[in-house]
Amino acid sequence: MKNLIHKIRGLRVFVLFLKEMRQSRRDRKFIAALILPPTVQLILFGFALNPNVTDLRLGVVDDSRSVLSRELIAAFEASGSFRVKTYFASPTVLGQELSAGKLDAGIIFPPDFARQRERGETAKVQFVLDAVNSNTAGIASGYAQRIINSFNQQFFKSEAGVKLDGATTPLSARVALLYNPGLRNSWFILTGVLGILLILNGTLVAAGAMVKEKEVGTVEQLLMTPAAAWEIITAKIVPLCLLLSLDIWLALGVGWLVFDVPLHGSLLLLYCAGVLCVLAGVGLGTFLATFSRSLQQAQLLSFFVNPPLAMISGATTPIEAMPMWMQAFTWINPVRHFSTVARGILLKGAGIEILFPNLLVLMVFAFILVFFSARQFRKQLG
Amino acid sequence: MKRIIAQMRKELTQIFRDRLTVALALVLPLILLVMYGNAISFSVTNVAIFIEDLDQSPRSREYIAAIAASRTFRIVSLPGGLGKDEALAAEVVRAVITIPPHFESDLMRGRNAEVQWLIDATDANTANNLRGSATAITQSFCRQNGLNPTAIRPAVSAEMRLWFNPGRETYKYIGPGTIAVVLALFPPLLAALAMAREHEHKTILQVYVSNISAREFLLGKTLAFFVLALAEFVLVVSSGMLLFGLRFVGDPSPFLIGALIYLFCCVAFGVMAGTAIDNQAATIQAVSMVCFLLSFLLSGFIFPLSNVPSIIRWVAYVVPAQYFIEITRDAFVRGGGWSAVLPGIFALTGLGIFFLFTAWRKMRRMQVNV
Repeated sequence: MKNLIHKIRGLRVFVLFLKEMRQSRRDRKFIAALILPPTVQLILFGFALNPNVTDLRLGVVDDSRSVLSRELIAAFEASGSFRVKTYFASPTVLGQELSAGKLDAGIIFPPDFARQRERGETAKVQFVLDAVNSNTAGIASGYAQRIINSFNQQFFKSEAGVKLDGATTPLSARVALLYNPGLRNSWFILTGVLGILLILNGTLVAAGAMVKEKEVGTVEQLLMTPAAAWEIITAKIVPLCLLLSLDIWLALGVGWLVFDVPLHGSLLLLYCAGVLCVLAGVGLGTFLATFSRSLQQAQLLSFFVNPPLAMISGATTPIEAMPMWMQAFTWINPVRHFSTVARGILLKGAGIEILFPNLLVLMVFAFILVFFSARQFRKQLG
Repeated sequence: MKRIIAQMRKELTQIFRDRLTVALALVLPLILLVMYGNAISFSVTNVAIFIEDLDQSPRSREYIAAIAASRTFRIVSLPGGLGKDEALAAEVVRAVITIPPHFESDLMRGRNAEVQWLIDATDANTANNLRGSATAITQSFCRQNGLNPTAIRPAVSAEMRLWFNPGRETYKYIGPGTIAVVLALFPPLLAALAMAREHEHKTILQVYVSNISAREFLLGKTLAFFVLALAEFVLVVSSGMLLFGLRFVGDPSPFLIGALIYLFCCVAFGVMAGTAIDNQAATIQAVSMVCFLLSFLLSGFIFPLSNVPSIIRWVAYVVPAQYFIEITRDAFVRGGGWSAVLPGIFALTGLGIFFLFTAWRKMRRMQVNV
């Protein structure tokens, strides 16, 4: 055993590895780049991408001024989805406010609203919704419909004395929301952004480290040592991966502390998947480095690679809403596979027996990228 | 004035000599436009679901047919050996629907039947939408089969009108915003890089010893990148209109004036960032963080800003894209005209002048910092 340790410590790869570790530990900027941007990004993404439909600004034109209209307004307010902002004298003014974006919805009671009801007819009210935001509008119109439905039920219960127990219709859909019953979008975003961060950070940091040697000219020095090119590259990549994979713990910490993201599966499995993701990023970064003469050039080149990786992945938006050709692209995106794994482990408690296809793909990506880029880089060294 | 023009021409020559810069300025925005416009959407279609029919009756098959008829869902069968829970966990299906035994006979006898919908709610927004579809499909199934026993006339009914975007098309929402977000990144990035490069290569010293003043130098730079931004603007807006089928609703003049001010504001931010940071790599990081991330996240591009906690929301007030996105939506969808966009235009003007003024304060002494 002692012999083995001795042997490993004597290996050139290990010595180089130590050199890289010490070098990065001293680099304050590097450490800062490892901690600050991911934390800020996770928090921003988690809070900013929130589709909740609450407190929509509702404008009211009440020409009826009746008990019935006031009751319906109260029902809208009580739902929490709508909040009465202003009462208007005429629908025209309400329309103008809606056009100016100062309202989200409007409800217009005609003068004979209550009288219609007294005559035993259905009282008709007009509900207008700013549908520019297609997603919010869809959800909001559903909410409005639900408010009116339950208002009708209540109304009949109290007025006509009709017995309506829970089931007004004989057939109903009982919906169970699995894995995220509170519908917290931050859980979805965090588990997706984690993969984006690992790859993006991996790309930038690795490109930086590789280009730096080229820029400063220390490549020559390394080449003069007896170490082989593969030893130099391995010794560069391994410490990078170890350091970058610390971001997994950071992200999990932020997710747990700030957003209460649960953990239902194996942490070790998640870490392994994360390391694969980082490896893919490092491979990509090394690849970019071979094309660049300076750090900023590598960074600019990454603009061609990183946004597609982040967007065409289903990490922050549903894949099922993309056009078919784009859905096909997601399959060759490591971020997609990592998101599935992260969501499986954190939210669904899935194990390796369910996630192995995605893990396998991640592994293949990581090795192809690292192998290919390392070869490319070695060619340049020679 | 002559010196400003000369500075601008020098800058433009330099830009067009660098192929990577030209690609960044003109090609990448188009790539991003296509990508954002298509990738950011929440109206899901063909969501894979599995239906477990424990009744196997004509009625249950009718219910399945009703689900199959909606564009939202696509019924799949589970690959061999995969259970319901595993299929949900592996993201093979997004929902599992179970039709209970005695479904038909319960309905015939007027007993209550419940169809169970298990929805993967990992993606909260999609789950919310799917829940809505589940209820809607079930309700329309009831209506078609005359299952509303007490045909009570409702007390109140609402006539729902969706304004501005009655078909709830995502393009109309994301398209205009994409134009704003794409323009928020590249003009300031290139401007900042050009400024930082002068510092890094020490060519700024030549500027200091020449007879050009800080004001002229900064205006020349701003003007050069403004011209570049203008070219990008024409390209992005015309392809955006083509791609997303956007048309001006009403008077386009507020949009055009607003765009000029927005571009100026973005370039001014870049110039400021480049003056403040003298290292190109750090400049890229800073500008892409502020312009890319904040314009993307804190501008109301994807979800309404009112959902962001107020501590973070105040940052949004200094994000130019926030104001311009509203202007683009007004121009292409709402058509509210001048009165609706004026506050945004004022805010953009203020921000632009502030950015440029800050850059000038930093540079005006034209001295080497020691």
